[in-house]
Amino acid sequence: MPKKIRSKVSNTVSGTKNFFLGIPRATRNLYKEIPHQVKSFKEWIFTFRGSLTILCLIGTILVPLITMDDYIMTILISFLVFSIFAASWDLLAGYTGQVSFGHSVFFGIGAYVAAAFVKMAGLPWFFSMIIGAVAAILVGLIIGIPCLRLKGPYLALGTQAFSLILFNLFMSGELKDILGSTEGISALPAMSEAHIVTFFFILIIMVISFIILTIIVKSNIGTIFKAIRDDETAADASGINTTKYKLIAFMISGFFAGIAGGLFALNSRAVNPSVFLALYSFYAIVMVALGGIATISGSVVGAFIYWVILTELFKPMGALGTIFLYFPTLISALILIIMIRFADQGILKPALEHIREFYDFLLGR
Amino acid sequence: MGVILEVKNLTKKFGGLTAVNDFSFEIKRGEFVGLIGPNGAGKTTVFNLISGFEKPNSGSIRFDGMDITGLKPYQIVNLGLVRTFQLVRSFHYMSVLDNVSVACLSPRGKKASEKVGLDKYASRILSEVGLIDKARFPPVILPHGDLRRLEIGKAAGTNPQILLLDEPFSGLSYEEQEHIHALIRRLSNEGVTIFITGHVLRELMNLVPRVIAMHQGKFITDGSPQEVANHKLVLEAYLGRGGGIA
Repeated sequence: MPKKIRSKVSNTVSGTKNFFLGIPRATRNLYKEIPHQVKSFKEWIFTFRGSLTILCLIGTILVPLITMDDYIMTILISFLVFSIFAASWDLLAGYTGQVSFGHSVFFGIGAYVAAAFVKMAGLPWFFSMIIGAVAAILVGLIIGIPCLRLKGPYLALGTQAFSLILFNLFMSGELKDILGSTEGISALPAMSEAHIVTFFFILIIMVISFIILTIIVKSNIGTIFKAIRDDETAADASGINTTKYKLIAFMISGFFAGIAGGLFALNSRAVNPSVFLALYSFYAIVMVALGGIATISGSVVGAFIYWVILTELFKPMGALGTIFLYFPTLISALILIIMIRFADQGILKPALEHIREFYDFLLGR
Repeated sequence: MGVILEVKNLTKKFGGLTAVNDFSFEIKRGEFVGLIGPNGAGKTTVFNLISGFEKPNSGSIRFDGMDITGLKPYQIVNLGLVRTFQLVRSFHYMSVLDNVSVACLSPRGKKASEKVGLDKYASRILSEVGLIDKARFPPVILPHGDLRRLEIGKAAGTNPQILLLDEPFSGLSYEEQEHIHALIRRLSNEGVTIFITGHVLRELMNLVPRVIAMHQGKFITDGSPQEVANHKLVLEAYLGRGGGIA
């Protein structure tokens, strides 16, 4: 009799079958919330934050009207790409509390798969990008299942190990015919003839990604993610299957990191094993820390400060000698330490408060 | 009135220490039972074993006719057996309302909250535990008594059949204790089976009709509070051998 009852239990609440069926079910519930989200979006536009966001967006759209310089366009495009990447890390680390130091794995897989499909199969870039992102989801599953048993610093080390494995795998000379070794995949067709068109394509993808990420974070799934971040044991005691939701977070985050990787490869028209380097994970972490952790929109601010302001500010120093080429990384590492010590909320939240005060002052409130 | 929770020969060892030793008891549906014992008697370990946070070395736990030994905590919660923690565990950076919403989003809580709507259902629970005015605050700024009530609210969000309350009165002022007393009585009147621990006998005396006493991981006695309070072994456990004011 106990055995019989046991199987009844596993059929109703657990079991691997139910586990995997549960994932689409949890995601499907997202659709139900969309009308509510649209309504709150309409209200949001007229709030302080909303109008500021729309202003920034209009500003970005207007940049090509002022200058069509290729160099500026390139910088802006990589800024957009890296803001998606940083936001995907923010979802995993800032919202779900799963601090991954191997986020470059998703980025790299997205980049390689998208490049391979454009080059070998001749698919249009958009579909290759999506395929790359789906591949990153699968990698998220493969990495997520063993890594989810780890917590805190051990999870960071475990994910870092995967990025090292993939870096060495893609570097290896024996697999040159399949993976391309140090040369990677190069001479990809351009996304479009003019830089501005590429810029607008990527801007649209970035805006859509941010809308989706914000909806996820504000939905019921987002509430569960935050609960897991705050106290995993308490979430478990509240009847939440934490493993399932952590896996969902890994997959969603992997998808958007994969999109960023795909866009990075397609825009630079080449990809090599360096995309798996810890440096790329570090980029995401620095950007999120700069903008503010657990604020999806902070990633844009962080990416802008890091990629556009800091990097460009220190680039002229490279002319002084090769050693100065490392200055941007060095300075940003210093800034990261200072941020963590003195401003762990990032720049966005405190800055917004000050701007809001000024805004209220202007309106005479 | 069937048996809802049946614990048989439960044993848990931590290295050389036997925290729970051959412990057995039964709780009927709708009952209101206390578990007492001096500090370190193994009350919390019994709760951890029942709620799946620790696995017993031997023995079995049957809930509502099903063997739940070795199931994961969230699976047990979704069957209707929910526990609270002695050291309050809230989601610090979320609002009080969201804290309860998480419980309402578990598969079991969802079934109950679907008809009413999540926000309404969660706010209804909050007004029942008396925290509706503080729904938008993060728990970090709440006093200890409110956190205890939030802990019970979170458990109530999953729509439990049986509620395991681990020392809900520890560290509270008299008024705060009265609040929790009333709250627990109300839950009991609604038909929720309640199993509650405490190391101070006096706190439980007026509340529960039946008490189980344990000492050093072993079952001592079971009966009405008066019977248990006058039991020789209970007095020995609390006051030491040879002592006793009774």
